[in-house]
Amino acid sequence: MKKAIALVFALVVAIGATAAAGAKPTAKAATAAGINCKSTLTIPFVTPVTGGAGFIGTEQVTWAKYAVKTLPSQFGLKIKLVVGDTPVEQGPAPAQALAQKYVADKSVVALLGPSTSGAVVASTKTYFQAGIVHLSPSATHTDLTIGTPGDPLLGTPAFFRDVPGDYIQGPADARFMIDKLHAKKVVIIDFQEPYSVGLADVAQKTLTAAGVSVTRLSAPNTTTDYSAYVTKVPSDADVVFFPTQKPPDIQTFGQQLIEQGKKAKLFGGDGSNDPSVFKIPGSYVSNFAPDIGGIPADAAIVAGWKKDNPGKTLGSFGPPAYGAVQILLRAIQLTCIADHGVIKDRRDVLKHMKQVRVKNFILGGAFRFSTKTNDPLNAKFYIFQIQSNGSYKLVG
Amino acid sequence: MDTFIQLTVDALTLGSIYALIALGYTLVYGVLKLLNFAHGDVFMVGSFIGFGVLQLLGGTSNPSVPIWLLLVLVTLAAMAGCAVLGVVIERFAYRPLRDAPRIAPLISALGVSFFLANSMQLLFGAEPRNYDTFSLSNGALYLKGLDIGNVRVSLLRIITISSAFVLMIVLWFLVNRTRTGKAMRATSFDREAAAMMGIDIDRVIVFTFVLGSALAGAAGVLFALRVPTTVSIGFIAGLKGFTAAVIGGIGSIQGAMAGGLILGFAESYTQGYISTKWSDLVVFSILIAFMIFRPQGLLGRAEIRKV
Repeated sequence: MKKAIALVFALVVAIGATAAAGAKPTAKAATAAGINCKSTLTIPFVTPVTGGAGFIGTEQVTWAKYAVKTLPSQFGLKIKLVVGDTPVEQGPAPAQALAQKYVADKSVVALLGPSTSGAVVASTKTYFQAGIVHLSPSATHTDLTIGTPGDPLLGTPAFFRDVPGDYIQGPADARFMIDKLHAKKVVIIDFQEPYSVGLADVAQKTLTAAGVSVTRLSAPNTTTDYSAYVTKVPSDADVVFFPTQKPPDIQTFGQQLIEQGKKAKLFGGDGSNDPSVFKIPGSYVSNFAPDIGGIPADAAIVAGWKKDNPGKTLGSFGPPAYGAVQILLRAIQLTCIADHGVIKDRRDVLKHMKQVRVKNFILGGAFRFSTKTNDPLNAKFYIFQIQSNGSYKLVG
Repeated sequence: MDTFIQLTVDALTLGSIYALIALGYTLVYGVLKLLNFAHGDVFMVGSFIGFGVLQLLGGTSNPSVPIWLLLVLVTLAAMAGCAVLGVVIERFAYRPLRDAPRIAPLISALGVSFFLANSMQLLFGAEPRNYDTFSLSNGALYLKGLDIGNVRVSLLRIITISSAFVLMIVLWFLVNRTRTGKAMRATSFDREAAAMMGIDIDRVIVFTFVLGSALAGAAGVLFALRVPTTVSIGFIAGLKGFTAAVIGGIGSIQGAMAGGLILGFAESYTQGYISTKWSDLVVFSILIAFMIFRPQGLLGRAEIRKV
């Protein structure tokens, strides 16, 4: 019996030692061999394609696919797009697991996403340690790119985004409430997760500074019935600001607001910008992208995307994903030129990110990163009002 | 005063749904002494069956039948689907373990719970399903109703609360005024003695699962009429239902009804008068307090053991 135990133990030790020995050379090979720019390079897209925020990823992926289909040849590259799903309901775990997987894949040169702020917080350190650039087309939490003594930086130097942060969205939304809606009393509800709390905080700061009376409520992100929250909305409140990444929740809130006969206008952030779900007439919603259907320079891109995606509606989350692919391809191209056709280290792509310039960016105007942060320079937020037919009209 | 009335209406809405779920726990526990932790997921499946049938009938924006019939058909379909599911669960997950130590069916119940939640996610994805009752007759279910002072009790809430109470009355009648109900009570009191008296125990147990699961199906629909449902909703709903059953006295039908309503009131008043952040804390503190000071619950019987 003792012999058998000793044998099993020896076997386990041997397997463990082999696995450990095997792991090291593979990891070294990934960085030592370099990545040939003529080979097919992999760009994963980490985004929620299922769950409450699945509408974000679903739309973004169609645009990223279209970009990968049409753009790489202009940059002399061959790209394979893979999609990693991060349902918001499952918390940080899927983003962390995907980060380990993509870091280990030596064909991954850069990454699109993560699309949600929570997923960025969960994985950015892993990508940074591996030197992988990750460019988000929708994660807007302020602290991902800006750190202050009170709010330390949550992102890393390897994290970039091509949309403005909540430090622009929050004040923009608040100013609209003050200047256009003449709000005197506002109720803010956060959803107890990074995106929602961050945006709610920034908006509250601007409103309070302008002398607006603010009531702050906080709902666990497992909340499904908002009746009690709606009950707490004063009958003379002008606006309810509810930043959430789950549009069905703001729709439910709006329905219950109407059910209780409350007259306050409902206002959502970019996370609830989904015309197929959030459709309470008269409500407002902000987003980092305008309706690109109105930008003449984008006409050909929009037509091409529509041809590939018949029946799909032009939304606000997809175009920044197209732009993000464009930015990454240019950074990879610059790296390939500098490294003479072989990317020696994935960190080299990171070095070239801030050199990227795009003349006619899909969101309008020219694109470049700020010299101070990893955010786009001079980007802004747009505000839409929901019409009686459910469509979104640009109003600010 | 308006806030109090509104919170009371909220509490009744929430509490009546919790009561329906709690009844499923209590019925099964009463007969089998089993905590059926898969019950919350049966509730979730019910809400999804309701959604599917609603779509088959044209959805809320273009229903092919009158609204009242639509709501009745959706509820009945969910009840029937869940009843069948309950029978399948009992047959394959619990019956083979009926004479095993009590921990075995408990673990099996947890397994069934995970199996149902994950199967549903694989089959239908994690996206929330919204019945979109707001689109029915231009929001009539929300805009019409009963006005008490400045508080509007919407038609949807009236339907939810009254349906739940009707179902509870029907259940009470079934258990207390029918032959099968008498057999259920006998089985609950002493399974072996009931068998010796000629009661078909298997049949009684199956009927218990049919009843409990059908109530969960109805609760699933009543819940999803007002808020979106997801495949993960069963866990928290099941936990609240279980808490209600324990507070009321697990095994007691009247206790489950009372427990559900107490839970609804505790949650609603805490959210309204203390803090929205504190509701779960208060609810589960009540559970702990009952476990310590009155483990048999409000209307349950203290177990007397022969030593």
